[in-house]
Amino acid sequence: MGRIRERRRTSWGLVLVLALVIAACSGGDDGADEPATTTTAAPATTAGGSEDTTTTTEATAEPSGDPIVIGSTLSLTGGLAPTAAIHKVAGDLFVERLNENGGLLGRPVEWLVLDDESTPDRAAALYERLITEDGVDLIIGPYGTGNITAAMQVAERYGYVFPQHTGSLTYAFSYECQFPAWPTGRNPNLTNPNLVYDSLDSSGVDVSSVAFVVSQFPGTMFIAYGQPDTDEGGAVKIAEDRGYDVVLDINYPLGTTDWAPIAAQVRDADPDFLFMGAIGVDGPNLIAAMDALGYRPPNMFFQWPAPGPLLGANADGALSVTAFEPHAPFTDNPTDAAIAEAFSAAATEAGLPYPAFETQASASWAAWQILVAGVEGAGSLDNGEMCDYLVNNQIETVFGEVDFGTESNNYYGDISYVKQIQDGDWFVVYPTDKAAPGRSIVVNPGE
Amino acid sequence: MTLYVQSIVSGILVGGVYAVMSLGMSLSWGVLKVINLVHFAFILFSGYVTYELSTTYELDPFVAILVVVPVFFLAGMALQWAFEKTRINEFESLLVTFALLLIFESIARTIWSADFRQIPAEQNPYVSDAWWIGDIALQTPRLAGFVVAVLVTLLTMFLLDRTYFGKAVRALAEDREMAVAFGIDSSRVSILLAGMAASFAALAGVFIAMSHALTPGLAVEWFAIVFPVVILGGLGSTKGSLAAGIIIGVVAAVATVAAGPSMAPLITFVILILTLLFRPQGLFTRGAA
Repeated sequence: MGRIRERRRTSWGLVLVLALVIAACSGGDDGADEPATTTTAAPATTAGGSEDTTTTTEATAEPSGDPIVIGSTLSLTGGLAPTAAIHKVAGDLFVERLNENGGLLGRPVEWLVLDDESTPDRAAALYERLITEDGVDLIIGPYGTGNITAAMQVAERYGYVFPQHTGSLTYAFSYECQFPAWPTGRNPNLTNPNLVYDSLDSSGVDVSSVAFVVSQFPGTMFIAYGQPDTDEGGAVKIAEDRGYDVVLDINYPLGTTDWAPIAAQVRDADPDFLFMGAIGVDGPNLIAAMDALGYRPPNMFFQWPAPGPLLGANADGALSVTAFEPHAPFTDNPTDAAIAEAFSAAATEAGLPYPAFETQASASWAAWQILVAGVEGAGSLDNGEMCDYLVNNQIETVFGEVDFGTESNNYYGDISYVKQIQDGDWFVVYPTDKAAPGRSIVVNPGE
Repeated sequence: MTLYVQSIVSGILVGGVYAVMSLGMSLSWGVLKVINLVHFAFILFSGYVTYELSTTYELDPFVAILVVVPVFFLAGMALQWAFEKTRINEFESLLVTFALLLIFESIARTIWSADFRQIPAEQNPYVSDAWWIGDIALQTPRLAGFVVAVLVTLLTMFLLDRTYFGKAVRALAEDREMAVAFGIDSSRVSILLAGMAASFAALAGVFIAMSHALTPGLAVEWFAIVFPVVILGGLGSTKGSLAAGIIIGVVAAVATVAAGPSMAPLITFVILILTLLFRPQGLFTRGAA
């Protein structure tokens, strides 16, 4: 009897181990990812799209030798996974195109990506492993400000160049060899709100009261309230300084599931303009909750929403910020247009419900371009030389030429634009020189 | 004043959805002695099936109930059959179902990606629909969830209190070996009860899909709702689950308005800890669970 029980325990143990192994494998923890495929037929553009190359297809020397291994983590599971999935597609596509175009320094490139499970301490531990155990040649940042902050400390300790996509605590990133692709500049708490308020002013429509509903996500708190322990402020203070009547200011924790009480507070405040420091699907969730109460503010802004679900929420008129949208003038450059198209195809194939090449994907792409530019500029994998090159040279990215300034923690400037949902799709509407053809901001008067 | 009344009403209604989410877990843990974390996967997959039926086949989300309830009833029975065959104990069930939950989460990620999936408003008009009592809105998905919660609770209470099946379930919960000695087919009763529990999870998934965006990681986030409700209501307590769901819903809603949204989970967990300290059998059961 005891032996049977023992056998049963062992069986369950085996099931458990198998289950965990299967889960880990299918979860996309691609520690054992195959190197990206290499082909000799080059596409019409370079991998990074950093130059407007010819549109004819030419043979490119096939990369040879030992692969250059680039290590990183992404949040393939956990709360950040929905957005990290975009970065996974972008990274896979970039590496594939890089190899199709001769690799890096003539060698094939392999991206070793591990799952940080959306937790900063795990991200830090995995970067430590990538550098000390896996011996990767280069690293690139993870997704999410918390993970980036944790991983950056490891990169600094080992002197690795650290391009990163989306770190938004700009004031905290003083490591001289971290290179942000995130296009918000060093002071997004000042530049971003002013951009949004300027866009409202540009319409000539009177907007006098503002409600703030802000996620306790570090980046959105920074933009809403500014750097802690300083009096520079953020969106709320700027709104007051510009004469808006701030009628509501509440924060909500990550993982909020019941939006009805927050919606009731917004309805009670009845603002002309809702400024939501939102990430992910917070925006659509609040909209649905407000709709169920029979209420919508005349104008709404969402900081970093999941763009697809917001489109599905009948949120015509909703505003957000972006640095790239897949329409003119951003796609006037055929290289960028080709990248946007290729990403869209890859994202569709990967099953992403909103496959547009917009802010997240373009920031991811730019981070890879920065890494490649560092290697090509230095002519080697020496992280010190790469760092020097990136600091002292202008780097071509999908956002245009960027110039890292050490005095601003390497943030190269705010190149955000205001976008709006019009006719069921996103269009840049402000400033006018970046607006989609025939589009301009629509602002509704307060009631 | 309207703000608080609205919040309390919304809290009561969402409490019904919490109850539907939790009832199956409570029965499984309290009666079958299986801490079935696959329950969360059932909610998740039911949500995704609802999403698919609404977006791909343009069916009304409520119609999904007709599909998911029988399908997950069978799935729950199949899982319990496996547990019966392997004579899994309470602790092993926690480990094994956690592993299974991870597998289901990975499958969901493979099929639907990690990105958000939300039924578009055109296919889901209920998301922004409400019934009105004066200035107070009764949001349709929540109202429907609450009504279903009450019906399910009453039906389950009837089944457990007034039928032979219910007597068998209660006997099993009381003393499994003695119940078997008196001729109760414990395996059959357990499998049927597990099917019921899974179908409750499926119902919850429909209401979740109607009011939220789906992503595979959600399954783990629901731990913070379901476990407080199950423990507060008492393991295996049907009416306890409904009452605890409403309490959690109202407390969180009022805390959100009175003290800010970040206080809502804090107060919920304070209630959970106090319950564990002073009334570990839950508020709505007598004696030790």
